[in-house]
Amino acid sequence: MDTSVAPPLPVANPLTEFFWEGTRAHKLLILRCQSCGHFVHYPRPVCERCLSEDLAPEEVSGNATLYSYTITMKPWHPFWVDKVPYVLASVELPEQPDLKMLTNIVECEHDALEIGMPVEVTFRQVAAELTLPFFKPVGS
Amino acid sequence: MGQTPRVAAVGVGYSTTGRRTGLNSRELAIQAAKAAMADAGMTPKDIDGVAVLWAVSGPAPPGVESVQALDIAQMMGFAPVGWYSDGAGPAYIGTALQAIAAIRAGFCHTCITFRVINQRLSSADLEQGQDETPAAGDSQFTMPFGQLLPLQAIAAMPMQRHMAVYGTTEEQFAHHAVTQRYHASLNEDAIFRDPLTVDDFLAMPYITSPLRILDCDYPVDSGSAVIYTTEERARDFQHKPVFVESAAYSGKGYMAFEIEDMLESAPFHTAKQLWERTDLEPKDVDCAQLYDGFSIITFQWLEALGFCAPGEAGPFIEAGNTRLGGKLPLNTDGGACNVGRRHGTNFCIESVRQIRGQCGARQVPDANTSVWANAVGPFSGAVLMVGD
Repeated sequence: MDTSVAPPLPVANPLTEFFWEGTRAHKLLILRCQSCGHFVHYPRPVCERCLSEDLAPEEVSGNATLYSYTITMKPWHPFWVDKVPYVLASVELPEQPDLKMLTNIVECEHDALEIGMPVEVTFRQVAAELTLPFFKPVGS
Repeated sequence: MGQTPRVAAVGVGYSTTGRRTGLNSRELAIQAAKAAMADAGMTPKDIDGVAVLWAVSGPAPPGVESVQALDIAQMMGFAPVGWYSDGAGPAYIGTALQAIAAIRAGFCHTCITFRVINQRLSSADLEQGQDETPAAGDSQFTMPFGQLLPLQAIAAMPMQRHMAVYGTTEEQFAHHAVTQRYHASLNEDAIFRDPLTVDDFLAMPYITSPLRILDCDYPVDSGSAVIYTTEERARDFQHKPVFVESAAYSGKGYMAFEIEDMLESAPFHTAKQLWERTDLEPKDVDCAQLYDGFSIITFQWLEALGFCAPGEAGPFIEAGNTRLGGKLPLNTDGGACNVGRRHGTNFCIESVRQIRGQCGARQVPDANTSVWANAVGPFSGAVLMVGD
């Protein structure tokens, strides 16, 4: 791992630090309402469905489908200078309709990218204290 | 029907506009204010409200001066004003709708509204100072993955999904750019007026696939101003008034483009409300001025407003419907891709000028109804304008 140049580093707060602790442990955690079971991402202090404020992180399957993507050609930041072109993607988690997250698709030929394709989480350490949840084609 | 009490646009104007004008924000605002007041045939004492949207997201670089509503009111001799605002919501539409609402509510009778963009605030600063910017708030879930610019989340990913779900083609985005450029060729004030072909467009490289530079508006320094007033006063000025028939505003979701529904976003809710507030229908519209910060946004507005079915914007454009002389002339000034970025203001001003019949070679014959729209994703708004 080359950590000489880091990407923009997340500033975790009490509401979000579980997410980054989870990725460091190779777990994908999403905040979930303990009253009605609704997942809330991005993290919020209240459940949009039942207004409960009793929320807790829960590990999700790590499965997803590719909702959309773009192959970015320009780095715009030193971290990506040797990484372009890279695949920025929005993926939909099966745990709940419209539960999406932003990620990168890795281990996939660009020609093989297809909206709707099944993908699964894979964790990559990109800086000393930062592990990101990327996704790759299932079975790759 | 329409919304009452009625509000009219009676003065419109632009500052000097260009890539690097050397003008600061105050100077851009002053120029635009003078142009709009001259257009209306108005003096400062006619104005008792000011709304300006100046800030681009993030802190201003050192040496860049802001321009605020009360600063403008003082400089231009409007003060005291009965109402003022430093803008809220997306782009120009939020400022315009605030002013229209303030006039309807009686806080002021005549309000000058601005969008002032000083280019030193935006993309020119991308390459400096960003490296150390940490990703706080919701951006901690985007920036570390490389989502550094709106063109990835607002433009490229929605384009890709539109293509996958509806079969939209890159050629159809090209046809849109070619049509807008043709309209710009008829507009003396446009920056880009040279002919463009589909092949020219397709020969350009991707910035972030499937988006090309010609899918994006063109960043410039610009001040734009529109003056609104009550129906009671609207006929006292130089040109025939152009009335707000209906207006709508919408917000939904997480204020995030990258995890929202990328195909049916806030414009669909805006459009539903817009048409509920008038007896007019999409077929009554003579021309449309739909935000083109990125080309896919215009596609989404065509579908949301019901000019074509969801997913049909590509074929609708490719068939020539949006070209002058077609069923629905679209972005008749050439759009912000060609006249420069005004964050929606140009679409209001072009609506006013079309309905007044001032558009010369690009005039839509007998235009009396124009809809303009702004923003996309989690927030958006639209205004339907009609002649007297």
